[in-house]
Amino acid sequence: MRRSAALLAGFALIAVLAGGCGKQSAASGGNILVAVDVPVTGDPYIAQTIKHGVQLAASNVSGTSGGVLVGQKSYALKSKLYDNHGSARQAVEDTRSALGAGAVAILTDGTGAAATWQLAQQKGVPVCITYDGASGLVDPSKRPNVFRIAPTDHGIAFRYAEYLIPKGLKIGLLHDDSGYGQEGASDLQKAFSRNPRSVALRMTLPAGSADLSAQILRARRSGATALLAWAQPSTIAALLTAARSIGWNVPVYTPPTGSDPYIRQRLADHPSWIDGLTFASSRLTAEVGTTPFENFEAQYESAYGVDKVGVKTSAGQPVVEPPEFAMYSYDCVNLLAAALTRAGSTDPRKVQAALNQVTTIGANGDERGFNQHNHEGVVDDDVYFARFHDMTYAPVKDDPLSSTLPAIPQTR
Amino acid sequence: MRGILGSAVGLGVVALATAAGGSAQPSGQQVVLPGPVPYPTDSPPLLGKTALPNAYLGPLLHIASGQRVFVGVDSEGRVARVVDRQRLLVRGKGDYQVAISAPVEDVRAAAGSESEPGLRADQVLWAGFSPGRKVLAADVILRPRAAEPYLPVRLKVRRDGDRVTLTATNATPTGEMLYAGTTSPPELARLLDETRRASLAGRRLAAAYATFVGLVRVPKQKVPIEAPLRVEGELRLPGQAPFSFSRTLGDGRPLSFRVAARGGGTPKVHLLVRPSPVVRLLRPPGAETWVQAVRRRSLPAPFLLRRLIETRMRLVRADQYQSFLSNPDVDGRSRSVYEYDTVAASASPGVSAAPGDVGGGTSALLVVAITLGSVVLAGGGLVLWAHL
Repeated sequence: MRRSAALLAGFALIAVLAGGCGKQSAASGGNILVAVDVPVTGDPYIAQTIKHGVQLAASNVSGTSGGVLVGQKSYALKSKLYDNHGSARQAVEDTRSALGAGAVAILTDGTGAAATWQLAQQKGVPVCITYDGASGLVDPSKRPNVFRIAPTDHGIAFRYAEYLIPKGLKIGLLHDDSGYGQEGASDLQKAFSRNPRSVALRMTLPAGSADLSAQILRARRSGATALLAWAQPSTIAALLTAARSIGWNVPVYTPPTGSDPYIRQRLADHPSWIDGLTFASSRLTAEVGTTPFENFEAQYESAYGVDKVGVKTSAGQPVVEPPEFAMYSYDCVNLLAAALTRAGSTDPRKVQAALNQVTTIGANGDERGFNQHNHEGVVDDDVYFARFHDMTYAPVKDDPLSSTLPAIPQTR
Repeated sequence: MRGILGSAVGLGVVALATAAGGSAQPSGQQVVLPGPVPYPTDSPPLLGKTALPNAYLGPLLHIASGQRVFVGVDSEGRVARVVDRQRLLVRGKGDYQVAISAPVEDVRAAAGSESEPGLRADQVLWAGFSPGRKVLAADVILRPRAAEPYLPVRLKVRRDGDRVTLTATNATPTGEMLYAGTTSPPELARLLDETRRASLAGRRLAAAYATFVGLVRVPKQKVPIEAPLRVEGELRLPGQAPFSFSRTLGDGRPLSFRVAARGGGTPKVHLLVRPSPVVRLLRPPGAETWVQAVRRRSLPAPFLLRRLIETRMRLVRADQYQSFLSNPDVDGRSRSVYEYDTVAASASPGVSAAPGDVGGGTSALLVVAITLGSVVLAGGGLVLWAHL
């Protein structure tokens, strides 16, 4: 009996020691809710890619990494999807619902952010924009809870001025009358204001119009030797149709909307009309190489499959869209997780403050972070230019940054 | 950390000396001389309290740092504000993502900057792409109390009736370990000439070694080593002509000086302080070069060794003060100028006025300049050597 007791005590001691020596996992704190407010029914491609980026990051953080460590507890990140229909009014409703559900942060394409940030700020909840680059949406002094990981209109406009003016082109500055087009036009105005001689004309295009023949004719008569069109994908498609159908092979430059699959789908019968279309966006790879982005892309495709554009190259290969905007929402969630850990609290106000102090490695290998003076996660220097050929695009060679970037494979 | 840095050379010497002591016969050993690093203290460059994020500097990029440190002092010479205007010139094509650690209160882009600086707790951030050449300039507003201990000069302004005295003191001296042993005068003379050429050309020291035969001794007592400073400026009283002065503090000259003026009103001080090369202590006695001097007459090896080590330490210390804020490119060239100005007591933290805003007076001012012979390092060095 005494021997048995000694043995039991021995086993108990070993068990205690083994428990003490092992890695202790933090106690579970439950879930942390991240709201995703995107235009599911307005711009399904953008909505889906943002949603997938959030889900992939949340899944990595909650699964592979064992959750977000906040103080002594580990939390799982859960996302909840809201459809703003591309409407600011709906975005306000969604924000109210998200706050009511206890969201610690709201990720959005940017729809209605000018109205929703105040609601979120009342509870100290950070809002992260991952698509809309409009100037004025982000202002750390006036809107301390608004952050953005997406190329900014300001950065794109000034990079275009830097890129195009030395070419000696006479540029037609066009924009459509959507909110997106008007915001961009404002930044283009500023960027080209010091070189008015390089501007052949400024013109507003009707968004959603399928026929822009009259406007294109006017642009041609103005002596424009290049068109810089800040517009929705449908407007850009209409513009290309109008120009190419009259045999005007004027170079066309666009903001990131130029890479939207919609344009290629719409002009699938005339692939040559797409050739030469140049768009600006934030680079997908960093100087460290393509490996980080390729790893992210492989993860993304493994989880959600490829984002098919719906067109083929001349060799018959299906074209896919790299998960660019998914990368931004993915990075935003990872920054949020880092901020939660740094804050040591799920209190949105503390998380908001911590977002100014943390850095993570982004999906493209670049370091990603905000700071007290700047809530832009994509710096203007990272804006590059890519040109279409045969339904896929590659960085241009006549720009210092773009010339250093490799082409991302876009066929499967 | 400071201790580790300070004794790094000494430890190396001890290790070498132990190895040498183990051999049967004394043999020559190469002993590393001071410079270009490590610095004898952690700061400057200033350090903040937060951990820096990983930095990235493209392999083809080089950064030169130029700084003008505006030091606002009150009517008694106490530091009231410190603003470092740092201009980083990035050369080469590639990405950069760097952070500069310091007790930062705020930061804003300075004129000519081609990018906006970021601010985090005790960090200034720069991130972007250099297309071949890029200027990053910022006014970094520092917490005065945290930055003050690392400023190169301390000022004291006193009024006694209608007499105002300004005392400026070199605040850079720090105790450093020397080492001694049996060495070869011709080799030391050659090394002194090399050191002198680098100093006069304003070049950073290159790594150098001296041959020691037998044991390397490390005297217990540290010697004070200062960064030689060139100080130029003026003391001004309302309605009086400004009194200008120009001194070198250190390099075998006194480490402080005092000037006085007579007149009423609030005295205004304006000083430019630059880390300067070692000139006086590296001047060969009675010859064009140290090699020639050694050939002409017998200069004791201990004297030459001590002069070599001390002057190199001074150059290292001066180099340290060229980076009040760190240069993200550790191999990049750094230059700092410190500009002291009297500011209003109620002045809010911010960027001081541009240099050269001190106007001239109209009438004569009675000025008495008194130089304090506080430390004559050349003579002191010889005396110390004599007691080793």
